Amino acid sequence: MNNKRKWIFRGCTLLVILLIAALMFIVGRGHTVYIDNKTLEYNGESYGALQKSEVWVNGERLSKLGKRDRTMTTTIGNSFQMKLINTVNKGDEPTEVTVNLSLPYGWDGILVNIPGYLANLPQEAWMTEFIIEPTPPEEGEEEPGEDEIPTAEF
Amino acid sequence: MSGKQQNAGKAALTFLRNNTVPLMFIIICAVCIPVSGFSPSYLLNEIITRLGRNAFLILSLLIPIMAGMGLNFGMTLGAMAGELALIFVSDWQIWGIPGVVLAMIVSVPFSVLLGWVCGKILNMAKGREMITSYIISFFINGIYQLIVLYLMGSVIPIAHGSIKLPRGYGIRNTVSLLNMRQCIDNLLAIRVAGVKIPVLTLLIIALMCILIVWFRRTKLGQDMRAVGQDIQVARDAGINVERTRIISIIISTVLAGFGMILYLQNIGNLSTYSAHSQVGMFCIAALLVGGASVDRASIGNVFLGVILFHTMFIVAPQAGAKITGDSMIGEYFRVFVSYGVITLALIMYEMKKRRQKASIGEQLALAQKEEERHE
Repeated sequence: MNNKRKWIFRGCTLLVILLIAALMFIVGRGHTVYIDNKTLEYNGESYGALQKSEVWVNGERLSKLGKRDRTMTTTIGNSFQMKLINTVNKGDEPTEVTVNLSLPYGWDGILVNIPGYLANLPQEAWMTEFIIEPTPPEEGEEEPGEDEIPTAEF
Repeated sequence: MSGKQQNAGKAALTFLRNNTVPLMFIIICAVCIPVSGFSPSYLLNEIITRLGRNAFLILSLLIPIMAGMGLNFGMTLGAMAGELALIFVSDWQIWGIPGVVLAMIVSVPFSVLLGWVCGKILNMAKGREMITSYIISFFINGIYQLIVLYLMGSVIPIAHGSIKLPRGYGIRNTVSLLNMRQCIDNLLAIRVAGVKIPVLTLLIIALMCILIVWFRRTKLGQDMRAVGQDIQVARDAGINVERTRIISIIISTVLAGFGMILYLQNIGNLSTYSAHSQVGMFCIAALLVGGASVDRASIGNVFLGVILFHTMFIVAPQAGAKITGDSMIGEYFRVFVSYGVITLALIMYEMKKRRQKASIGEQLALAQKEEERHE
């Protein structure tokens, strides 16, 4: 009986640890979100870039985007919120929009097009995966072999 | 000379003999700090940063000492397990504190396996645990290099080009941990007079200290102490000596894995092929500087060791540059001191053992003489 209880306790502990790991796997997924203010062509229609768009994330102004500008930020988890203060045409009153996005788990880089989002187009039109080609390493980086002694790190 | 004075002299001599290394380091630091010219706030900042970075790793050495297995050079195995976990977590793109927690969980099976292998081998080499664990760490380093350099990306799936070598398999020299850099240190951090105090990291270290104190009082902890004092007596008392020794090494390896993850999250990048190579040596040197010996170490030794050893590390290059005009002298000096202090501690331990044996012999001889006189 005592032995059985011991194994149940061990199994429960293992289960809890696995659950924590699964939770960390979901909530800790990092993404880089690229936000751009570029004219979008979709189904033969053109959605023009805004005159100006201020991007606010976590209460801080990330960037002020002019036409054809792009900014980026990093976020952890699958939900992302930002505030946009948009000026559609020169001389217009700025309008404030709060954007809540659900980010696809498998995408590392996510490109969000502001004009497409504001035009209420389907998500695949304004949200696309952004893939960066890995940069080739510098000379001598291919094969590790230097006998580095990391004394300075200590 | 009166008896009281003689006793005081003896006590002072014993104190000096037992604390030679810490006293030596206090003198080195006292000379080097003013010469280096660093401001007190800068020094304090650096010491607290290094305390948070290294203390957990050094705490992992306490349990094998308690079990009489000496200084566990095999903690490098735990460091390798932590690094493997960090490579996977980086590839899965899990960032921040969840990344650190996940890396700790992922490191556990690797650490347990490596600790078990190490413990099994050390049980075959009783009395020579330190040199054996040192050589095991070289052996496992070879396997680690094989896995990381050839199997990752070819057999073990690694998706991200940013951590993979351009040839398509193997991990790059440096893996960036920028997205989890100092995530634990910065959470709840406070600044006092310009000194950053990583409260959460220090709380984790404090929790670890409490756990060690608690562990010493458990049945397993008592068994380990008994094994550490005398294997034969422990065996006669019904303790499974081999199992207890293996568990102590497994615990140490798991804690070393956690410690390495905490250490690397502070640094912010992982030198894939070399980060673990000197970890064991520097942690052991720090513990010995704190006044520990091969068979006796406490939590106090850990903290005193980190403070003294790392103060020397911080000030030595600058002091070397000021005294000799070449900062490399300071660099060589601190590496020389690290190895030197381990050598000194081992010599002192051996001398102490011989002195104890000699004193037991003398006592026996005296007792025999007494017996003969009575007859």
